[in-house]
Amino acid sequence: MNGKDFLLEIAGNLVKKALEEGFDEVAVQVHRKKEVMVKVANSEPSVIQNWTVANVGIYLAKEGRIIIVEQSPAKLEDTEKVFGELKETAKLSPPSPFYAPLPEPQSIEPLEGLVDKRILNTMNDPSDLTEMIINTAFEEDIDYVAGMIDFVYSEKALATSKDVNLYEDATYLEAYLRAFAGKGSGQWAYGSRMLKEERLRKMALEAARLASRAKHPEPGEPGVYDVILSPMVAGNLLNLVAGMSSAFSVLMGTSIFMNKKPGDKVASSIFTLIDDPRKPESAGSTAFDSEGVPTYTKPIIKEGVLKTFLHNSKTAAKMGAKSTGNAGWLWPHPWSLRIPPGEYTLDELIREVERGILVTNNWYTRLQNYVEGVFSTITRDALFLIENGEIVRPIYKLRIADRLPTLLQNIAALSREVYDIKWWEVGIPTRTPYILVKNLHTSTHTA
Amino acid sequence: MTYEELVLHAIDVASDLGATYAEARYHKISSSSITSRNGEIIGVSKNLSEGIGVRVLVNGALGFSSTNVLERSHVIEAVERAFKLAKSHAKLMKKPIEFSDVKTGCVRYSALRKKPFDSMSLEDKVSLLSECWETAKNYVKEVKMPVLTTALSESIEEKIVANSDGAFVISHIPRVGFRYSFVLVHPQKGTIQRSFGYRASGGLELLEEWKPVETLANEIKSCETVLCEGVKPPVEEIDVVVGSEIVGLMVHESCGHPSEADRILGREAAQAGKSFIKPDMIGETIGSEWATVIDDPTIPGSNGFYLYDDEGVPARPRFLYKEGKINEFLHNRWTAAVFGVESNAASRSMDFSSEPIIRMANTYLKPGDMNFEELIEDIRKGVYMKSYMEWNIDDERWSQRYVGLEAYLIEDGEITKPLRNPAIELSTKTFYTRIDGADKNLKFYAGVCGKGEPAQGVPVWFGGPNVRLRKIKLRVVS
Repeated sequence: MNGKDFLLEIAGNLVKKALEEGFDEVAVQVHRKKEVMVKVANSEPSVIQNWTVANVGIYLAKEGRIIIVEQSPAKLEDTEKVFGELKETAKLSPPSPFYAPLPEPQSIEPLEGLVDKRILNTMNDPSDLTEMIINTAFEEDIDYVAGMIDFVYSEKALATSKDVNLYEDATYLEAYLRAFAGKGSGQWAYGSRMLKEERLRKMALEAARLASRAKHPEPGEPGVYDVILSPMVAGNLLNLVAGMSSAFSVLMGTSIFMNKKPGDKVASSIFTLIDDPRKPESAGSTAFDSEGVPTYTKPIIKEGVLKTFLHNSKTAAKMGAKSTGNAGWLWPHPWSLRIPPGEYTLDELIREVERGILVTNNWYTRLQNYVEGVFSTITRDALFLIENGEIVRPIYKLRIADRLPTLLQNIAALSREVYDIKWWEVGIPTRTPYILVKNLHTSTHTA
Repeated sequence: MTYEELVLHAIDVASDLGATYAEARYHKISSSSITSRNGEIIGVSKNLSEGIGVRVLVNGALGFSSTNVLERSHVIEAVERAFKLAKSHAKLMKKPIEFSDVKTGCVRYSALRKKPFDSMSLEDKVSLLSECWETAKNYVKEVKMPVLTTALSESIEEKIVANSDGAFVISHIPRVGFRYSFVLVHPQKGTIQRSFGYRASGGLELLEEWKPVETLANEIKSCETVLCEGVKPPVEEIDVVVGSEIVGLMVHESCGHPSEADRILGREAAQAGKSFIKPDMIGETIGSEWATVIDDPTIPGSNGFYLYDDEGVPARPRFLYKEGKINEFLHNRWTAAVFGVESNAASRSMDFSSEPIIRMANTYLKPGDMNFEELIEDIRKGVYMKSYMEWNIDDERWSQRYVGLEAYLIEDGEITKPLRNPAIELSTKTFYTRIDGADKNLKFYAGVCGKGEPAQGVPVWFGGPNVRLRKIKLRVVS
């Protein structure tokens, strides 16, 4: 039996078994993946990891009660053993205010080109590709590199009590490199379902060039700056914003959109944020969600206006909307983000700035208040001071400390070149340009 | 084959292939949780993570592999893959990896649980969350509370750790957690938001200690006061009393993390970053005599409790900073070999699919002997920051920021007005240098510490007493 039939049979049998046990509705999603990751530190591999793992997610409903099970069992076939215990759980727990029936089956248009054989082949021994990335970075004047490259082949099978039976398999690659030179460093990332050596070379060179240019940083003053967010930084902050467009986040009080509704102006009119699951090369692309609803490309924010929250059938029922194909059984979530480009080159963006900074990377974005979007994030790697339209020098780390709604409203320009970013701090694959934001507050330690 | 036999067989297979070191770990975490929103149960979840992780050292390269198919053939395949990939990458090694010699354990241990999870019915657990809402909503007077979420969780972590150096450690750790998050809204004053959670090893007896309903209600009341009556914090240089909740996070972030020897050696440089501490800085001054920070996995009932690490090394308290000096790093067997010391058992993994890496367990600042009133009695004008929401620290653990949520003005040795959003933003050395007093109220707080690639979250505690800092300039978040 091939992988597809095996996983669909497992999922289908679990649905059947759960219905026999007396549950009203069932959805089962079986994930299986093979993964190889090379982690690099001090310009050599620190560990080579690989995984062959399968897990099963089960959604169960009984008279409006909801139970969700996640298992990586020793044998997939053994998963059904949990149903007996869960029957008792269902009897004793009260109905969920989020309950809505699972959706009826819909026609799914499969996505083509989700599997890249080069990734499958390279997974067997990625040592030459790892060596190429390290060596490429050393074409610049740097001291050493760290980073990782990850190759994944994943399969998912979905079966529901509404007679949904769907399967999809895909590859993806995630890579990032951080280069160090003197007191400077630079980092860049790349994520895609396709292995493109040229993109990996570009990633390594970008990291190394940034490190080389930031070799001798000087102290920088905190204050109000026009800030150019690199795709790494834009990816991080817009992951947060997109996550807040989940209707579940809105209902749980963890969203700047809690007091907003579709149609409200929430950002600069030149800014559009799209959930784009139908772009095959994105590492987040998929044809169907966890309820079997077809995915589709949709603006979350279009020309500054909030267009939709992201819904599954439950949040949609609760808020009088339609599913947007973003389930998550409880938490609807974005699949893959895209920010349409502008018309500027990076140099032209810099020329727009009288007093500002170019932030190439950040981490630790944390919020004081999700509803008001009060946040700070600390820069890492190359940070450049811009005066009168020119980069004048690299400077030490600063925090951006402001409000997300202000950041969205103050977007002033976008670069025309876009980058596919995915790494530690950008969990949702994001295709984004450089973004210029006017008048953001920055901060640093007082002593 | 039993799981014990499977783990031992994996080591035999790796050794036969030619691995100079082999380690296998059966790791199971079974957990459940109930989540409510505004008193209504959203859903119940049950999770199970179970499998084997294997590590091998081949020609100086380290390979890791894991599978959740617990059959002999699959485990052998996992070992073979780890071996093959490590071997193929050995050509890229500039400094071959070695592990230090160590006396490993052969032992079985459990964390104590007085009240098992089934000693309370599901209905009673549901009632507890409903009671939180019923009580809390009556506490707000001038504000609205649009959202209160609460969650009760239980888990059991079971491990069998064995390696080719003779370790064979079986452990069983039950844990209980309770979390809440609320939003308070005032039509003119805006919003205030709080998230907080308890977690510890043990059983449901912990609920009696935590008193979740009462604690939540009191916090809501305090936050309402801060929102409605809070004034702008002083901007001039003043004394600051940092509450134990913030002290705990500060020592975790600015002592525990930078003391991780793998970070000091650059292994996490592209992820969690490097450290301001360099390999030769043992003995250098980092703070005042009050700056003693201990990381101790062996605290009974703690969230980060363990007696042997995932390399089979017996655990002990680690004095990371001692009376103002950098004193000891957190080590696994690789970093111990590089530094020529013994491992102090900091090797932990999140689950079967995670490689063991250097982690904290329960990190805290050593308490003093004053009571709280004595700590603030000579402060003419100051700020007491009790809790926080926003925080971050740079990737070398030098520049750190914590924004106060519940905070108060201190005037002439007394707590007076509530304050809104004062922020401590200091360098690590300034924080530890400006400490000139600590009270005796050592408290611990639960967290999930993130590190590694793929990212691993492991349970930890962090804590400390309330501490007094002299001459601090605060920032204000408007």
